[in-house]
Amino acid sequence: MPAVGVLVRRTWQKHLLTFLMVFGPGLIVMEADNDAGAVSTYMQAGGQYGMHLLWTLVVLLPICYFVQEMVARLGIATGKGHAAMIYERFGKWWGRFSLIDLLIVNFLTLVTEFAAISLALSALGVGPWIAVPVAAVGLILMVVTGSYLRWERIVIALCLLDLTWFGLAYVVHPDWASVAGNTMLPTMPAGGITSNLVFLVIAVVGTTIAPWQLFFQQSCVAEKRLRFADLKWARLDTLIGAIFTVAVAGAMMLVGNYGYQHHVVFEDPAQLALALGPIAGNFVRNGVLLLMVNAAVLGTTAISLASAWAYGEVKDWEHSLHKKVWEAPGFYATYIVCVAAAAAIVLIPRMPLQLVIISVQVFAGLILPSAIIFLQLLLNDRELLGERWVNRPWNNVINWTIIAVLFALSLLLAAQVMLPNLFN
Amino acid sequence: MATMQNSFDPQYYCVIHPLDDAPEEKCSAEGLGHIAMTPTVRLSLKVLRGYLILMSIMLLYHVLDLAGIVHQLR
Repeated sequence: MPAVGVLVRRTWQKHLLTFLMVFGPGLIVMEADNDAGAVSTYMQAGGQYGMHLLWTLVVLLPICYFVQEMVARLGIATGKGHAAMIYERFGKWWGRFSLIDLLIVNFLTLVTEFAAISLALSALGVGPWIAVPVAAVGLILMVVTGSYLRWERIVIALCLLDLTWFGLAYVVHPDWASVAGNTMLPTMPAGGITSNLVFLVIAVVGTTIAPWQLFFQQSCVAEKRLRFADLKWARLDTLIGAIFTVAVAGAMMLVGNYGYQHHVVFEDPAQLALALGPIAGNFVRNGVLLLMVNAAVLGTTAISLASAWAYGEVKDWEHSLHKKVWEAPGFYATYIVCVAAAAAIVLIPRMPLQLVIISVQVFAGLILPSAIIFLQLLLNDRELLGERWVNRPWNNVINWTIIAVLFALSLLLAAQVMLPNLFN
Repeated sequence: MATMQNSFDPQYYCVIHPLDDAPEEKCSAEGLGHIAMTPTVRLSLKVLRGYLILMSIMLLYHVLDLAGIVHQLR
């Protein structure tokens, strides 16, 4: 059957239309990373240190881009997901290790996403026994329509809802000169360098680059069947996603900074939102709570899909959103089980959420360095990719530097979680 | 192929959605076996194993600490 296309007359129209057709995976992977945990971390950064940590986001922008660009390139070159490539090129042991670790850390992260949904909607007067099941059903309905494009359009719309963060940041009237200064130049917060400051910086790094992102974008690019010629547009998509995500994270810090200025002490964004209501108004209060739900929904759908794609690839099942539920039962069952089980766990009374959060950090510390090492080695695999797709020498210098830094930070974060006495 | 020039009218471009386009022959690992063990690959995997062993020791210590066994040994 001949391919169906759209006729355009001008070169710029051709470029624009091609970009719009390719656009999606880069924005989604980046913005979904601003999930409930990220909202909490960025708002804590603003709430504890005002604008002093804004510069970290500027440093993280190129790191996010370079890592995810490699993922997009590998996905386009091979048409396969990251888990499948690790299995094929590094063998069953490393394949199983990566897959099991990914599934565990993803599942634990999903529990935190549903906990955030429960927390935020409870603050808005909706009980967890309504909020959590409704969210879970909605998240399942999003993917079972048998259309990748339908899912992608819904998720892009959810990503764009995050533009509201800029409205919230504007409403709390930050000192824009100070915002610009702290974004461009690191400044020392009152109290100097403390272990708390160091670990908050590490937490910001950890929340901005998450292991599931590597698996998700590569599978998503393969699912969308991006072609070799689409690489430049996939890079642009990834760059736009990275800039948007970092800008949204900055807006979250500014809202947290408003709490800092008003000496609000909080443990989670819902507490901050409730405290800010009387000072900043209902727009800020309800906005933070609803955006927290949006962040958790985005995170849940992307993370669950990362798990379902990875498991489906390795099991050699049909693993595509293009398929109907009965055509890819294992793939959809994985997604549904992830969502439903995480939602059910959150409804257990006195669930030890702190233990779940610590476990996420520990398992992420295991999976992120290994996944990123495999990515870098695959991108230097000339036998597989040929000269066209492998990293250039300058790519390798940048990426090995990023990997060394991520190894060190992951080790430090895990050590802080598991051996807290070392740092007291 | 992202776009192609219309053969009947060179002034028009036909832009095809990736999902509607003909599949490309991708780079495949079929028949290649495992990745070649170059010095870089070998060193990277050694460093990764070392890192994972270190993390496992820390995790074991943490579990023993939580169980109160470390305190008893002291």
